[in-house]
Amino acid sequence: MKLRLRIALATVAAALPILTIVGWARMAEREAILQEARKDFVLERRLALAKMAGSSPSMAFPKVYPTRVLLPMALVTFTSVLLATGPIVRRVRRLTQEVRDSVKGNYQDTITVRGKDEIGELALAFMEAGKEIRSQMDRQLQREKTLRAFLENTTHDVMIPLTVLQGHLATFRERAARGEVLDASSILPAMNEAHYMASLVHNLAAAAKLEAGEPEAQLEPVNLNEVVARAVGRHAPIARQHAVKLDHAVPERPLLARGDVTLIEQAVSNVIDNAVRYNRRDGHVAVLLDRSEGGRFLLRVIDDGPGIPEEERARLAERHVRGNAARSRDPGGRGLGLNITSRVTRLHGWELCLSTADTGGLEVEIKGTIYDPSDGSPHTP
Amino acid sequence: MALPILLVEDDRNLGAQVVEHLQKTGFHTIWWTEGKVLTPADAAGVRLFILDLMLPGTYGMDMLKDLRAFSDVPVLILSARNDSVDKVRALKLGADDYLTKPFWPEELIERVRARLRRPNMQLEGGLEAGPVRIDLANRVVSVGEKCVELTRVEFDLLVALARRAEAAVTRRWLVENVLDPDRDGTERTLDVHVSRLRKKLGQESLIETVWGIGYRLRPGAGS
Repeated sequence: MKLRLRIALATVAAALPILTIVGWARMAEREAILQEARKDFVLERRLALAKMAGSSPSMAFPKVYPTRVLLPMALVTFTSVLLATGPIVRRVRRLTQEVRDSVKGNYQDTITVRGKDEIGELALAFMEAGKEIRSQMDRQLQREKTLRAFLENTTHDVMIPLTVLQGHLATFRERAARGEVLDASSILPAMNEAHYMASLVHNLAAAAKLEAGEPEAQLEPVNLNEVVARAVGRHAPIARQHAVKLDHAVPERPLLARGDVTLIEQAVSNVIDNAVRYNRRDGHVAVLLDRSEGGRFLLRVIDDGPGIPEEERARLAERHVRGNAARSRDPGGRGLGLNITSRVTRLHGWELCLSTADTGGLEVEIKGTIYDPSDGSPHTP
Repeated sequence: MALPILLVEDDRNLGAQVVEHLQKTGFHTIWWTEGKVLTPADAAGVRLFILDLMLPGTYGMDMLKDLRAFSDVPVLILSARNDSVDKVRALKLGADDYLTKPFWPEELIERVRARLRRPNMQLEGGLEAGPVRIDLANRVVSVGEKCVELTRVEFDLLVALARRAEAAVTRRWLVENVLDPDRDGTERTLDVHVSRLRKKLGQESLIETVWGIGYRLRPGAGS
């Protein structure tokens, strides 16, 4: 509003003297013509009158000089318009310059033009737009960084088991070339490496997904019975090779939960993977999914392996450790897997609890809310 | 002869391996190396589809959509992309199950078997588990030609396990749903009932003890 008022005032200020001058000039011109026409007649009469009064004849005529008045008045108008619009133009110029500088500096520079008029508002709008662009760019950069870190970590972490696997294969080849008979157990370490590599890549992908903050978009009803069956199925071949008995039980009617199916499956898979991998020969792993009170589910993975001491359990499920830190602390161990499990359960608002099983091994519990499609919303405990 | 399994997988090495493992297990398999528009005739001659999602030609997801318009043949999806969007979409389009690469051959075979497994051997008003026949209406159990006398709890226990043959059932569930709550309903009592049931059926390995869980009826393991 203020800007419009100012421009209107400036226009009025500029128009007033112009109108005055034009009017004046036209009047003066008409007067001059009239005077010219009456000149002879009036001259004679005035001269006669002047003669009678005894005064100078020049006093009888008014002085009219239109061009001499017009020029200074035009100059005054011009100057007044310039003066009135000057501050506005200066602020617009400053804003333009600052916006240009801001664009050059990746929207880092702030706009200093202020004011309660439209220019001030425009400056504010530019600042808001700049802020939005900056946050978008930051997000993009963060995503790119996560992706690059993921690629680097994956490359680094996969290279190690891959090297071990190549070593195993080279040994097999040499032994086969010497005519030795390869027994099944000697191939097991190579299978372990391949299996480990697969879970590593799954976990690194899960970590990248968690760090990019994307999973919220993938909240869908997930059939937990099927998740358990698939996760058990993934590790069953390796468990068999290790002579670890891996079994599971699920309720007859499938239990649903709302979440990201890939992340949930990976979370469950990691717990089973650890229970199998750190078990002994002829050990057992049981995976139990059940309904519990208050519309909740309880998923338990129990083993009769060596278990984990209490202080290490706390460290493994530590809440604020990011994937990377967990990796470097416990490379190749259960660190990354349990860390992913812990973060996935937290993301879904579930609980993860590690304790010593009655069997002396490890018992991992995941508790969460059952999703009931009939009432359209998850149960609240 | 049973209908073949149709594998649609563009990777030559992986496709050849999958075919080899399926054939070795006894599943006759046809292999397409690229996606095609499916016709009802294609679907009618197949007992299970194994479908890769990333295919040249017709995209796997489109094949699934087309297929579901005229057929409910089971579909197992093979996916290299460990992406929830794809899986959720495939399941919504009517896929029965999916398997994420990499997988062990055993895992694939197990999943194929699970898809082809018939739901329980349901007879007229009864159940069959290996040599054991259960007449639900008359509450009579026979092994081969011989009738077996069972108590109420033993009969209910056998039915509970036979209904979910091949699946492990927890001790807790059996205690809560089979044992008489007014009497001594503990897991110890349950174990005693199971051991008596095994003896009466004369099929020791038919009912397996599952570590940390409970019991499982394995029709194939008996006799």
